Amino acid sequence: MTTVSGPAGTPRRPLAGYIVGSVGLRRPSADAWRTAGITVLCVAVAVGLAALLVTFADGSPVEVVDALFTGSVADTAGWSQTLVNAAPLLLVALGACIANRAGVFNIGQEGQLLIGAMVGCFVALRLQGPGWIVITVALVAAAFGGGAWSGISAAMYYTRGTNVVVTTLLLTFIAAQVVQFAVNSPSLLQEEGMGSGPARPQSDAVPDYLRLASFGQYPDLTIGVGVIVAVVATVVLAVLLARSRWGFRLTMLGLNPMAARHAGVRASRLGGSALVLSGAFAGLAGGVILLGTVFRLQPAISNNFGWDGLLVALVARSRPGLALPVAVLFGALRSGSSYLAATGVPDYLVDVVQALLVLAFVVPPVLSTLWARRLRNRAPVADTPARPTAAAPAKEEVQV
Amino acid sequence: MSHDRARTDGPAPALELRGISKRYGPVVACDAVDLTVQRGEVHGLLGENGAGKSTLMKVLLGLVHADAGEILRDGARVEVHTPLQAAELGLGMVHQHFSLIEPLTVWENVALGEPGRVDRNTICADVEAVGARYGLAVDPTATVERLSAGERQRVELIKALRRDPKVLVLDEPTSVLTIAESAALFEVLRTAVAAEGRGVILISHKLAEITAATDVVSVLRRGRLAFHCRTADTSAPELARQMVGRDVSLRAEGAALGLVVTDDPAKHLTPVLAGGLGAVPAEPPAPEASADVPGTAALALHGLCVAGPDGRTLLDHLDLEVATGEIVALYGVEGNGQATLGDLLSGLMAPDAGEVRVDGRPVSLDRPGALHHAGVGVIPEDRHRSGVVLDMSVADNLVMTDLRRFSGRLLMRRAQIRAQAEELVERFAIRTPSVDAPLRTLSGGNQQRVVLARELSANPVVLVAAQPTHGLDVGAIEDMYARLREAAASGVAVLLISTELEEVMALASRIAVISSGRITGVLDVADASPQRLGMLVGGEAA
Ligand SMILES: Nc1ncnc2c1ncn2[C@@H]1O[C@H](COP(=O)(O)OP(=O)(O)OP(=O)(O)O)[C@@H](O)[C@H]1O
Ligand SMILES: [Mg+2]
Repeated sequence: MTTVSGPAGTPRRPLAGYIVGSVGLRRPSADAWRTAGITVLCVAVAVGLAALLVTFADGSPVEVVDALFTGSVADTAGWSQTLVNAAPLLLVALGACIANRAGVFNIGQEGQLLIGAMVGCFVALRLQGPGWIVITVALVAAAFGGGAWSGISAAMYYTRGTNVVVTTLLLTFIAAQVVQFAVNSPSLLQEEGMGSGPARPQSDAVPDYLRLASFGQYPDLTIGVGVIVAVVATVVLAVLLARSRWGFRLTMLGLNPMAARHAGVRASRLGGSALVLSGAFAGLAGGVILLGTVFRLQPAISNNFGWDGLLVALVARSRPGLALPVAVLFGALRSGSSYLAATGVPDYLVDVVQALLVLAFVVPPVLSTLWARRLRNRAPVADTPARPTAAAPAKEEVQV
Repeated sequence: MSHDRARTDGPAPALELRGISKRYGPVVACDAVDLTVQRGEVHGLLGENGAGKSTLMKVLLGLVHADAGEILRDGARVEVHTPLQAAELGLGMVHQHFSLIEPLTVWENVALGEPGRVDRNTICADVEAVGARYGLAVDPTATVERLSAGERQRVELIKALRRDPKVLVLDEPTSVLTIAESAALFEVLRTAVAAEGRGVILISHKLAEITAATDVVSVLRRGRLAFHCRTADTSAPELARQMVGRDVSLRAEGAALGLVVTDDPAKHLTPVLAGGLGAVPAEPPAPEASADVPGTAALALHGLCVAGPDGRTLLDHLDLEVATGEIVALYGVEGNGQATLGDLLSGLMAPDAGEVRVDGRPVSLDRPGALHHAGVGVIPEDRHRSGVVLDMSVADNLVMTDLRRFSGRLLMRRAQIRAQAEELVERFAIRTPSVDAPLRTLSGGNQQRVVLARELSANPVVLVAAQPTHGLDVGAIEDMYARLREAAASGVAVLLISTELEEVMALASRIAVISSGRITGVLDVADASPQRLGMLVGGEAA
């Protein structure tokens, strides 16, 4: 009855099965339905609140909703923008997935992304050569930059035991200062100035031939190289985490470091490299933003992509396959919000609206869990004290 | 079954479970189980690994929701959906696996989960009072991570007893206590229970404990209630048969079950070793012979020194050799360095001084996995801590230490892993719905078997087995002993770390005694007597 070891278990899953599995599409449980329901409700509430806020600010709520929709998913132009936003989010999230799997919690992606963008910018502006070579080198250098930045945290943790959360966070602020310094020093990356007016705190623009190509022409759907890189990386990472020896060891390290050590895993090497790799993904995201959309280094180039990417990984519960749709969703929120800003709604309101919507997508799983627990606790309260002495309800005793 | 328990006279039983069923997918963990606990009664609950004992108790404690059945407390039907409700109803439980928070102190752990204000002094006083009352002395201000397994077990017991439960469930509470310790505990518990009218459900694989400490006993087999009677009317062999469904040889295995008379184990056990092994494969022929040949030591420990984080000496120039084909027991009172040595041989720590040689070659101890690579298999004392990853599958846990064998350049070979896992599940009778099930969903004893299967199947040169029979049922213990002997017979050097005198005497050819991190003496089993061992354990040379 209980000792079954034969082929009755799960059949071998083909690759597609793994990806579907890691996306979490296998069994929509009651919990999943509840979460979906709560999500719809939350989004409705968020949109309602946003509309209310806009009304107070003398705007038109209908136009707000319309703008959010038009800017993100209403047409191919909206989708194009959404994908542009999704690519760096996804890259950052993939890195976070790796670190989380290994049980080291990197929250400094924003800084790693900045450093990556800076290093990439340096290479792109200084290196001479054919476009595709320079682009490749610049992206790789960006990844190295981000990796080195998180590598500092790894070194501090594995030699001195300094908390990773603390160091990655603090290094983010240092990264911001470093970039400020770089774009304010003419000898480093500050722009030459075109003769008109003083030089601003930003780098020169990356020449046209070094910008990431995209396929498709406005108003058709355009897909940038950044998106392609991110999607390919997602598939590769999903497979590696699920099926490779590296992924196995990483998972083991994250779940039980002692057992991992017993099995021959050196935490400082595997965990440290996971942290470096997660920084490298953030750095790569910085490179993609630089060469794909912004084209010059500015202190604000990171634009919260690091924080949001981390959020994507958390919502996706560190599963690359799930991070893909979540990143697209967060990308849509971004493009919708920027479209909204373009319609003349004040910036601060746009930020509030975006934050509300992000919350609407992050909170439901938590609410759902709390609710489930509540239901379980609540039920008997009405039941127990009601029958103090109603001894042995008249159910037959012999049941065997 | 229930008719022979039905009592028409007297007050309603303290606790009654009726028709409790619980199914996990295809696995029926509990199948319409009835159980009655009277006031002042200790009720023994027996069953093979995976029979459904823990599940039944978790239903009672509100940790698992039954599919069917009802719970009556003092004759009134109650609903138990959360552990808090269970606590309000006066139900308490000591779990099979430790549930202590290691960085916290003893008193903090004891207070954890209690509603209301926490007052350090009252709780410390309580811990000491309960400890004195039940013979469970432990320092309330000690940090749990510094405590030995036996001390942790005492903390768990104190935590449950302090809440003054009307019905107390003990799920294998004594697996890490020695037989003497648990005997003392149950004596006190029994009188206290009778005097205060509490009910106790005791789950244990140690038949001696059940026959000595319980009033009635129920046996679960594959989720069903298979047998129930007053303890006085039955015997250990009968219970073993009811549990497994066949006759079990309770000879040497009796040691682990606490069935061997302890007055003079040497005299008592000699005939067992000489030829009474029954169905068990023949014992290694004269293992002592190989032990005398110099230079063949498969495992040699030289001058191992380890100091704890607080500067306390854990291992003090420890020297020990185990030859191929020999079973050497490391015997001593718990907490004298066995855990440290186990960690060291699992590759979890490097010593401050000293070296470990396997087959004559020194092993670099600060490289993780080096010992395993050199051929040292380890069954760690605390399997949950370093032996398994609970959230990975049974198959993954079975191949975890040997990944290279089961992967190509980059990817794991899933088919090969499955095949290996299915073979081991079959060979070691691990009860699991599939090899893909998360290890967490296996019963406690079956989790143990996964570790045993993995370490034994790796064809080790040296096998270190720390308390290898903890948590195993009668049949599995029988099997375990056979495997250890088989391993030794095939040339493996076996180091058995044990706190049970009887087990040590039954299995080993030489006994090394550890006290305060030092080897105080090594005796051939023929020369060992409880008196001499006792002196060595106390730290004197015999
Ligand atoms: N959470 C779970 N999910 C799936 N199956 C489970 C779960 N918990 C227990 N089981 C299954 O239920 C059965 C009974 O398990 P249980 O833990 O009650 O056994 P037990 O009698 O306590 O055994 P042991 O002596 O090994 O502790 C086992 O076959 C186990 O695999
Ligand atoms: Mg159990």
